[in-house]
Amino acid sequence: MTKTPTSVFRQRFSRRRFLGTTLAGMGAALTTGLPKVGLADAKTVRLGMNIPMTGDYAPWGLPGLYGCEIVAANINAAGGVKIGNDTYMIEMASYDHGYDTEKSVQGFKKLVLEDDVKMVMMLGGSTVASIIPWAMRKKMLTTTLLPSDITPDTEYLVATCESHPLYNVTGVEWLADKFPEAKTAAIITTNDIEYGKQSAATYNAAFEVAGIDVVDVNFHGFDVADFAPIVSSLLSKKPDVFCMATDVYTTPIIEQLFHQGFKGKIVSCTCDGYLDVIAKTSKEFVEGLTFQFPDFDDPALTPDKADFPDPAGFDAAFNKDHAGEWSAVAWEYPSILLNWIEAAQAAGSIEPEPVLSAMKANSSPAHTFGPGKWWGADLWGLDNAVVGNWPVVAINDGKARIQEYRSVYDWLQNNAGVLKKHMQALDLRTV
Amino acid sequence: MGANKLTHVAGTAALLIALVILPGHLKYHHQDFIIFLTINVLVVVSYRLMTLTGEWSLIHIVMMGVGAYTSALLSKNLGVSVWLSIPLAGVSAGAVAALLSFPLFRMTQFYFLIGSFAVGEAIRLAWVYFVYPFGGSSGINTIPSPELFTIDFMEPIPYFYLVLAVVTLCLLILHRIENSRIGLTLHAVHWKSPLAESVGVNAWKYRTLAFIIASIFVGVAGALKVHYLGNVTPHQFGVGTMVFVLIWVIVGGYNTFYGPILGAIVLSILDEAFRAFEAIRPAIYGVLLIAAIMFMPRGLESVPGWFRERLFRKTAE
Amino acid sequence: MELFLQSVVNSFIQGGFFSLWAVGLVLVFGVMGVVNFAHGELVMVGAYSIWVLHAQYGLPYIPALCMAVLLVTTIGVLMERFLFRPKREDPLGGLINSLGVLFILQVAAHVVGGTGPAKQVAPPFSGTFVIEEFLRVPYQRLFAVAVSVAALGLLWFFLTRTRLGWSLRAMAQDREAAALQGININRTSMIAIGVSGALAGLAGALMAPMTSIHPHMGHNVIITAFIVTIVGGIGSLSGAVLAAVLYAFLHTFVTAYISGTVATMSGLLIMVLVLIVKPTGIMGKRVSE
Repeated sequence: MTKTPTSVFRQRFSRRRFLGTTLAGMGAALTTGLPKVGLADAKTVRLGMNIPMTGDYAPWGLPGLYGCEIVAANINAAGGVKIGNDTYMIEMASYDHGYDTEKSVQGFKKLVLEDDVKMVMMLGGSTVASIIPWAMRKKMLTTTLLPSDITPDTEYLVATCESHPLYNVTGVEWLADKFPEAKTAAIITTNDIEYGKQSAATYNAAFEVAGIDVVDVNFHGFDVADFAPIVSSLLSKKPDVFCMATDVYTTPIIEQLFHQGFKGKIVSCTCDGYLDVIAKTSKEFVEGLTFQFPDFDDPALTPDKADFPDPAGFDAAFNKDHAGEWSAVAWEYPSILLNWIEAAQAAGSIEPEPVLSAMKANSSPAHTFGPGKWWGADLWGLDNAVVGNWPVVAINDGKARIQEYRSVYDWLQNNAGVLKKHMQALDLRTV
Repeated sequence: MGANKLTHVAGTAALLIALVILPGHLKYHHQDFIIFLTINVLVVVSYRLMTLTGEWSLIHIVMMGVGAYTSALLSKNLGVSVWLSIPLAGVSAGAVAALLSFPLFRMTQFYFLIGSFAVGEAIRLAWVYFVYPFGGSSGINTIPSPELFTIDFMEPIPYFYLVLAVVTLCLLILHRIENSRIGLTLHAVHWKSPLAESVGVNAWKYRTLAFIIASIFVGVAGALKVHYLGNVTPHQFGVGTMVFVLIWVIVGGYNTFYGPILGAIVLSILDEAFRAFEAIRPAIYGVLLIAAIMFMPRGLESVPGWFRERLFRKTAE
Repeated sequence: MELFLQSVVNSFIQGGFFSLWAVGLVLVFGVMGVVNFAHGELVMVGAYSIWVLHAQYGLPYIPALCMAVLLVTTIGVLMERFLFRPKREDPLGGLINSLGVLFILQVAAHVVGGTGPAKQVAPPFSGTFVIEEFLRVPYQRLFAVAVSVAALGLLWFFLTRTRLGWSLRAMAQDREAAALQGININRTSMIAIGVSGALAGLAGALMAPMTSIHPHMGHNVIITAFIVTIVGGIGSLSGAVLAAVLYAFLHTFVTAYISGTVATMSGLLIMVLVLIVKPTGIMGKRVSE
């Protein structure tokens, strides 16, 4: 980040800088024996999370709430944040919609009208689609983890952190560079639109750009008890690369690859449960398994690469209270929270409209892995998703380690047309 | 008898007046809650009409989906007015029911229950599988809301009144059907099937008729739901949702017209009250369900009678 | 060729599980006339027991498996005594009670396992049986198939060669006649659900190291068990086993050569077809109603 030309905006509103100064200020206040003026005067700003906390989708909601609570507690303990002329404590308000569209509508309205939140963070998919008409009319700043929720009419919907599944291109690009002998790939994915097909289209495009032939794509439902038949079917095409485009079933699928004697490279979108995978297969087998989501105690998450305050400390705090519940959303929602703080500070206001304007006015907005760019008009009709660098992670000696950061933005600049072609081939909505 | 009828009419009128006044006094998200609740009342009452013949199906919610998808596709893709697409949703659900009745009513009892589940699940999987025109798992989005003068039907209160009007009308019709000759025959099909057939009642025909009528009304309910939510997904019509309909009807009681309504209202309100215990909510439901079956086998509908009896006994003493 | 052979083996393994799932359901329906919707959750509890006892507390696999079977059998027996017995004359009531149990067990699994991602259990039998270029079968799966076959064989012996088994079959054929002949309905029902629970617990415990364990895993079990039960003929145990193997072949081959969704859809449609053409199933003898 320090090597890239930084805008005035970034210099003024770097996350670590603001946290650093607040902490330093706190320290100074304490050492000089002054009362905690900041705390006494602090107002509270509420931010909403309308997410699944129970049911099948809970792993993509609940850990995010835990993560936000850790980050908010740290910020508040350090005296809150200064926005405009006021100091604010951050409070999270959450509603569990259980991935149900009716509940999502009710939860969204409750958060906005009754809890008076200034932003609503959501997971994405049909639960976002059902709140869009109302949220846009109320001009409510809403975030999603799925940029494919963006349409030309969703001016107030932004995807500032995860850009599922665009980041997948970095893993394929890296693999093709490292292992030029890989010539063919097989893809397995769930048959839903939001997660599975979007991801499969992205992988198709990434493989095409990398010069790797996709020999078979298998779309399966959420009711698979045994992956042996599907894996047998895909392996009969003798792929060099086996690619898992969605994350729900990585463990049983890799277990089948192990038992059925797969010798090639494995690429996955996520692999949060890689320790389980190792326990079920062997350390040797998963060596080199490539995916997109780092552990947050990764030494490569250095301040110049990752714009997240104390990743290792965050990782430790999370695993202390919520061991075994970590998933990528644990840091993604907090990252959006941090994006909001920066934009609010730039706007000098906590109100949704000025905050959104400040976000969009920034030509190189903050992103977890270095500054990004607003993008999306090419595919969805509106530049409301932030894309930037994304890490490529691989298992080294039983531990997930970042191998390299690569630019999703650059890939999209060169190859958006290929991606669009593959999305249309799977009947996915594009402009 | 006359006095009893009078109390019913007075009670219904009081309930309606309360419902008309209520929304303005609710929290915002509870306004949405009563919209969905009112729609669910139509779902359970139409389901009960089906059960009059003694057949319990697991396809009712899928028929709601048929209505929902019909109205969504007609209004969004073909530009049909929502005022027309809502009744057409009922017609199409009824038509699909008529088609399905040929295989389904070759079965009865347990076989019918499972057969209806299988057919329903196959329809639902087809919505997932055929991305065109059904939109696959993410379904259909940005479905238009109704338009009338300057009324804003995206706001909950106007839409609630629309739902209340449509549901009240549907309930009146369903009530009339139940108390007509058709309704009496449906009861006869249930209780004295062989006898009914011996006097010339074609049980198959009446079962089919009940299924079609129930589907028409639940199709309308589905349409009402999508034009408020603005989207429809196959996920909404899974067997999980159907189980809740079953629970509402059984806990409420299915021997009277108002039993299922009582079940839907009481359990939905309890459900909302248990939101704080989200993770264990289904277990609370489970315990309530078992308690109702074990200790109140005739459902919540027996409660007023029980009180009346007590009261009567007291005054008699 | 390799895919074909591999699919044949996969089908037999699936067939073993499908049989264990379905036979328990058939037994309870046949003897007690109750559709136990919580049957899938009994399998789930079996799998969770292995996760808790074996993976969390380090109990060796085989004793953990025995305890899982015991636990699920106990749950089954308690269900019979307190939920199904009082509702013997009211099949709908029994069905609804089982739905209540379904919800309670799912939440219990949530409480025990937390809301994190699905649980995984490392296989106690590692390694793979390999015939190069032809076939690869993990030892864990071979073990599971062997145990399933043994359990079903034992059940067959029990039903055909013992007095108790005979009374069970008599009840399944005609409850009233059996009662008239002096068969103790309470005891027979309790044995039926005990056996059903044991098989469910066993299936769950065997599956635990090969699948993702989560509170909703029973859903798939119950749907498959219904398909198998209907196709095999309600109340027919041999029909259930035959249908389980046939359905496993159909499902495995359609999944391998076409698509998993098409496989599930065709299973459902075959079930409807059987219901229309021959509601008593391929081996069923009981007349409907």
